[in-house]
Amino acid sequence: MTRPRRSLFMKYFVTLFVAVVTPLVLGSATEAWFAFRDNRFDLNELLQVEARSAADRIQAFTDGIRDQLGWVVQFPWTAGEDDRRRIDGLRLLQQVPAIVSLSMVDPTGTERVFVSRVSMNRTGRGADMSADPAVVGARANRVWYGPVHYQRDSEPYMRIAVAGNRAAAGIVVADINLKLIWNIIAAIKIGDTGHALVVDDSGRLIAHPDISLVLRSGAGAGDFDRLKSVVNAANGSAVATTGEDGKPVVALSVRAPNVGWTVIAEQPVREAFESIRAALWRSLVLIAIGIAFAFVLAYWRACRMWGPIRQLEAGVERIGMGQFDHRVTIESGDELQQLAIRFNQMAEELGASQQKSERINRLKQFLAPQVAELVEHSDQRLLDAQRREVVAIFGDLRGFTAFTARAEPDAILAVLRQYYEAIGAVTARHEATLIRFAGDGVMVLVNAPVACANPAQRGVRLAIDMQAAVQSLAGAWNARGCAMGFGVGIAMGPATVGTLGWHERLDYTAIGNVVNLASRLCDLADDAQILVDPVVTGHVKDSIALASIGERAIKGYDRALEVFAVVRSAGPLPHLDCPLQPADVRPVEAGFGRMASKLSPADAG
Amino acid sequence: MAWPAAAFAQDSTRVYRIFWVSTDSQPDPFLAGFREGLRARGYVEGKNVTFELHYAPGNPQALREVVSELKRGNIDLAVSSGPATRAMTAVTDVPVLFALSGDPVELGLVKSLGEPGGNFTGSTFLSLELAGKRVELLKEAVPTVRRLAVFSNSLHPGEQSEWRATREAAKALGIETVYVPFAGKSELDKGLAAVGDAHADALLVFPDVLTLVHRAKIADFAIAHRLPSMFGWSEYCDAGGLLSYGANQRATYFWLATYADRILRGEKPANLPVFQPTKFELVVNLRTAERLGIDLDKSSVLFRANRVIE
Repeated sequence: MTRPRRSLFMKYFVTLFVAVVTPLVLGSATEAWFAFRDNRFDLNELLQVEARSAADRIQAFTDGIRDQLGWVVQFPWTAGEDDRRRIDGLRLLQQVPAIVSLSMVDPTGTERVFVSRVSMNRTGRGADMSADPAVVGARANRVWYGPVHYQRDSEPYMRIAVAGNRAAAGIVVADINLKLIWNIIAAIKIGDTGHALVVDDSGRLIAHPDISLVLRSGAGAGDFDRLKSVVNAANGSAVATTGEDGKPVVALSVRAPNVGWTVIAEQPVREAFESIRAALWRSLVLIAIGIAFAFVLAYWRACRMWGPIRQLEAGVERIGMGQFDHRVTIESGDELQQLAIRFNQMAEELGASQQKSERINRLKQFLAPQVAELVEHSDQRLLDAQRREVVAIFGDLRGFTAFTARAEPDAILAVLRQYYEAIGAVTARHEATLIRFAGDGVMVLVNAPVACANPAQRGVRLAIDMQAAVQSLAGAWNARGCAMGFGVGIAMGPATVGTLGWHERLDYTAIGNVVNLASRLCDLADDAQILVDPVVTGHVKDSIALASIGERAIKGYDRALEVFAVVRSAGPLPHLDCPLQPADVRPVEAGFGRMASKLSPADAG
Repeated sequence: MAWPAAAFAQDSTRVYRIFWVSTDSQPDPFLAGFREGLRARGYVEGKNVTFELHYAPGNPQALREVVSELKRGNIDLAVSSGPATRAMTAVTDVPVLFALSGDPVELGLVKSLGEPGGNFTGSTFLSLELAGKRVELLKEAVPTVRRLAVFSNSLHPGEQSEWRATREAAKALGIETVYVPFAGKSELDKGLAAVGDAHADALLVFPDVLTLVHRAKIADFAIAHRLPSMFGWSEYCDAGGLLSYGANQRATYFWLATYADRILRGEKPANLPVFQPTKFELVVNLRTAERLGIDLDKSSVLFRANRVIE
């Protein structure tokens, strides 16, 4: 049989492993997902706040300039006040650093005062500016914001024009250096390296923390225009794109409405998702630790489960091979240990049972199967030595020695086999104990080791049946020309019974006078005769017909003993046609005498 | 922009060699400003930056040798101030930072202010434009000015254009000018004596290193001769000059140090726009005004001043 060597181990291992790892992975993944969502939301909020703040400040910057400019166009123009207006202009320059120069235009559209930080100031009637878009725009909308232009191909400038409440107040046109917005934008830090930038509608850079990018007079407008349109498309929410420096960024845009610029707040993706990346790493490390832990735990647990089972399996195998002394040692303190204890108990009981069955096999040599069964389920002490009342039956073939002298060994063995079979069958039928075959002799005990009711009667009936069985065999043997007879002796009395021998070879036997007596009676018996001692006779005389054959001297007995013979039933016995020859009898008797001593080795003592 | 600290640490083992080329003489306040700017950006002289100073006072021709040395040597950056820049035009493979009064586009150093496009970039002070403005401011502070002495180091390149701008502005304002040039340090005292003899009622001094170094002497001379004086940079006023109008020198050199830093980090001068000052400081020394007996209380100059020394 091919054994799936590690299947239980793998099942346990995989189950435990999955049971620990799955919730861990699921938990971490969920955590990471929520963290990512929150991070994304926070990032959106942050960028929105920063962009909005930048847009507000830019709005405040331009609004501030507009309001300051409005202050110089509050009064209508009157003649001869150019100098006062000039002072106003100079004070305005002082007040608003971003204004590089400003022109004051009278209601006719003529420049009357020009003051500048760099160029020479001018007062008095100057150029006609009525067609200047700044003047036209301010007249139409009161406030006009010009497009961004780059002075000397470098610095971003724009013009703002403000008209007074009434046309008579004239118009002021200021040149604004947008480089000053830099302070606003540079002050905006999003995280560590995130920043804000401002582009106009055509994507030209107006403000950037790296002022040198702005001073390139709108070079690289394509990049910024692309960035602007991508970010604008996201409609106020953060979008991941490529920044102006070619690095991935998360960006969000807000419009500064009055000037029509776009403020873009951006943060490098790397930094924006730093925290989520850190969280992911933490999760991964946790998962890795969890997996390692689960691996070790699952392996340990599976080993703890698999090891004892292997032990038990090996134990079963060895028990199967008959090693009943094998014991399993499991100290797990759980059901497996319990199982091992039960296993050991089982092995012990199996061992005991094996011993018992060995004993019973021995018993079966002597006992009829049903008796053996009885013994099997009874006390072991049944075979112990004890003194009890037994009926001893001895049988012996007459003329066997002469037969053996003539016959071939095969024929001898065939005769003995038939003889033993017949004796055995009869003994078994009567539930008596077959003590021994010895050559042509046989010894049978009744009432030992298993007690029975009315042993004397049973013994006599056994003897009668035995005689009948052997006589029918003898008829067949005689027909083949080998004259043999059978004599039986029965005696009853106390004897010591028990097993005798050494551990390799144990025999159950009986020792006592009754054995000798039965043997002597057998010797005395003629062919087809059953001689019975007085004790048995006393027990059976009411049910079985017995006839005294007179007193006989028995060896080992001081006085002669009255011996009875079972009265033969009617009908001639087959072998009577062939009476025994005296010459044949002697060797038989001599042989039996030798055998009797063999059968009852203790009788001489 | 914030620069990752790691980028700096990476190159911290390297020692950058910077050539400082000037036609002026030591002591050099510009060099001091530039060094200060570099220090502020984390450079330590002798550790990760070394200066090699080359001065050829009043003699740009003498700088030719320096230029050939520059071509040979393993130089990371050259910085030239003022007229020395002209001598540097032959340099094409070493980044050159300049600080000029004049227009670098006109001088052919850069293609445009926004995109220099070569190995030159730096800062221009817009001196030419401001020349007229100075006359105007002087006239506003002292409306009685009729005859203005213009004191100029003739060795300072571009001085002629500055003089022309000044003369035109003065003419427009109805002021007569007396041009008093002097050729370098040796002629400084002689020049001052000439100013004293010019019968002028005000003094305009062109800003350059030489007059800056000797600003105290010039300012004292002006007070002694009761001449209201106008200068280009605030340092002159601190030394006793009456007025000054111009970009902040220190801020400019500080800015130049920023560019030096970026170039040393690997940026190309071609992509670094020439910087123009945004803020122009008007400084008034009221103590000098008092000593000269000039009442500025009603003048627009006072409220326009960024700094008043009292």
